[in-house]
Amino acid sequence: MNYRFFCIIAAVVVLPLVAAAQKTAGHPDLSGIWTYGIDLPPTALKKEINGTVSVKGIDRSASAPARTPIPGALPSTPAPSYKPEFQAKVKHLSDNESKLDQVFYCGKPGVPRIGPPRRILQLPNEMIFLYEDISGDPYRIIPTDGRPHRADANPSYYGDSVGRWEGDTLVVDVTNFVEDTWFGEDGYFHTDAMHVTERFWRAGENLVYQVTVEDPKVLTAPWTMAPRVVKPSNEPLEESPACVESDGSRLLNNDHHGQR
Amino acid sequence: MRHKIYSVAIVVTALLATTSLWAHHSPSAIFDMSKRFALTGTLTKIDWINPHIVVAIDVKSEEGKIQTWVFESNPPSWFRRVGVGRSEFAKAIGQSVMVEGVRAKDGSSYGYLQKITFAGGNSLELVSPSEANTR
Repeated sequence: MNYRFFCIIAAVVVLPLVAAAQKTAGHPDLSGIWTYGIDLPPTALKKEINGTVSVKGIDRSASAPARTPIPGALPSTPAPSYKPEFQAKVKHLSDNESKLDQVFYCGKPGVPRIGPPRRILQLPNEMIFLYEDISGDPYRIIPTDGRPHRADANPSYYGDSVGRWEGDTLVVDVTNFVEDTWFGEDGYFHTDAMHVTERFWRAGENLVYQVTVEDPKVLTAPWTMAPRVVKPSNEPLEESPACVESDGSRLLNNDHHGQR
Repeated sequence: MRHKIYSVAIVVTALLATTSLWAHHSPSAIFDMSKRFALTGTLTKIDWINPHIVVAIDVKSEEGKIQTWVFESNPPSWFRRVGVGRSEFAKAIGQSVMVEGVRAKDGSSYGYLQKITFAGGNSLELVSPSEANTR
């Protein structure tokens, strides 16, 4: 009898409280600290201290496409489709990535290349995204109160963002970019017409992040990337050390290597 | 000028492919990945900077001349996530260390640090991620 009573109380009282705690103003709560999503070396560290050996690897999951189908995700393709007249340019950029990709020279990755934020602060009428990146630690303030894009904003690396809720998914619409960035490491250049749509939703304790890039000047169709699953993290944000690139002068060929 | 450069191992592709010398540029565009070498010298500087930490050591040749060698390694954000801070290197400044790594193809006194062994025998080494999975 007591056990049944306890179960009923749990179902009627506790579970709704837990669900409510995960929502803010009727929306899922995306706030929190999330796993670092920028690709890092796959190596592990072997540490020997006073004869005791330990080996520690790193969690790179947030920087990679999800390995299994994710409920709610849009259909994705592995690569964008450029118009025929731009395909040679993409190949040239990709072949010479080590020398031409500004991210390799401490440049800002911009949206969407920076990936999911390290921390999200969810307020009633805006979302605040905080990032850690080798080029610096940018932030984004994204209104969610229905206002349109700013008409007077200057083009920027992280663009002008407005957010809205579509069911339990936060949809962030980003425009007004500078043209310096690539939206992928394989020479994926864009124009000032680039329009990025970021989607965020919860999958249990995790955050799912999926991006669609449109640029009708150079792409034949919008490109939706595979979603990424980002685990919660308890690792506090830390100021990124200064970026001082010194390898460029030592490059003896154009070997390709991925960073993000 | 001759230096105490010891060829530790000639390891072709397989090991280095898994213990990737991730760099923001392709490591093979900069470093000779086929030969790992070791140098012993005095740690003089540790720069905790992106995109790679930088370690400098002064190496004394057999003729007694000092030459500075500079090694880059993985980025600070990687070291942070494997639980190593700048202080683990900085506390050894002024002390003898042995650095193992691969050398820049341009022939300069520059390399990529894969292992550092401190004076007391403690060490930090970049290894294959599979080693972490087995522990």
